[in-house]
Amino acid sequence: MAAEVTSKVVESLQELNVQTIVRIPKVGPFDFSITNAVIYLWVSAAVVFLFFFIVSRRLRKEPDSLQTLAEILIGFATGHLTGQIGEKGRKYYYLILTIFVFILTTNLIGLIPKPEVLKPYTPTANINVTFGMAIVVFLMTQYQGFRRHGVRGYLGSWLLPPGVPRVLAVPLNGIFFTVHVVGELFRPLSLSVRLFGNTIAGHLVILVMLGLILQFASAIVIIPAALFVVIMTAFEIFVAFIQAYIFSLLSVIYIEGAIYAGH
Amino acid sequence: MDAATATKLAAGLGMGLATLGPGIGIGYLTGRAAEAIARQPEASGDIRTAMIIGAGMTEALALYAFVIAIILLFVA
Repeated sequence: MAAEVTSKVVESLQELNVQTIVRIPKVGPFDFSITNAVIYLWVSAAVVFLFFFIVSRRLRKEPDSLQTLAEILIGFATGHLTGQIGEKGRKYYYLILTIFVFILTTNLIGLIPKPEVLKPYTPTANINVTFGMAIVVFLMTQYQGFRRHGVRGYLGSWLLPPGVPRVLAVPLNGIFFTVHVVGELFRPLSLSVRLFGNTIAGHLVILVMLGLILQFASAIVIIPAALFVVIMTAFEIFVAFIQAYIFSLLSVIYIEGAIYAGH
Repeated sequence: MDAATATKLAAGLGMGLATLGPGIGIGYLTGRAAEAIARQPEASGDIRTAMIIGAGMTEALALYAFVIAIILLFVA
């Protein structure tokens, strides 16, 4: 009995595996095969690009629905997100707006039902995708820090302010510097794990519930499980927005920290 | 208890225990934020932003445990 229960539920979890569409032989440790994850990543990138491209081609005095949506998104990115950095933050809104809209699209694209040939897959439910985006933010942060303050200034901002007696300053600076380096390195990890974990946790719960429906084909299980799946899917849509918001807001905060390092 | 059973038990127990702290934390955070909004409704935007950042940081702790649980169940 116990083995039977695990089998159907675990079977439904296989949906989370990537499905290889075009197989390309491995080059060393790298696998360049085109999977459904890659395809949905491309699709969401194309959706984001085409949306803003088409809107920017047909700007009017009296905005239609698409233009209104784009204006809301841009206003949100310039005002609420990058507005926190102040005047110096104006130019980062391209990056932040792209991150926000891209994560939102990738989160939502996995919730749309699709045919068996190309199984649904949320690209952000893959740690590689989220870690890639977090690394971009990390590199941007460090680049800004070094460019604005110079190597001495930026690394110096991680140490104690001058004026501390030497006897105290040397050991304390060692601790401060180590803590700061570890903190900086953990930021991309926590950014990526937060997005990945939130996305995949919702999918796992939904899939386990669906697996339970398949396993116990009786009304006592099916009715609450189906209700729960509906509620969970609605919650997933909410989570998609919240996570896109948190990722971009934390990126803004990290970049802001690097711009105003030492203040 | 053999190793495979112990791994599954560790994954389940670890995940359950790891949700305790963030659960208390997010509950406290949201309660305080609601209190602050009730006291000063005109600052609700700033309070909500601070609350969401805090909630994101807190839930990351549970997610680390979740990732480890997944690794224990499916990879290790």
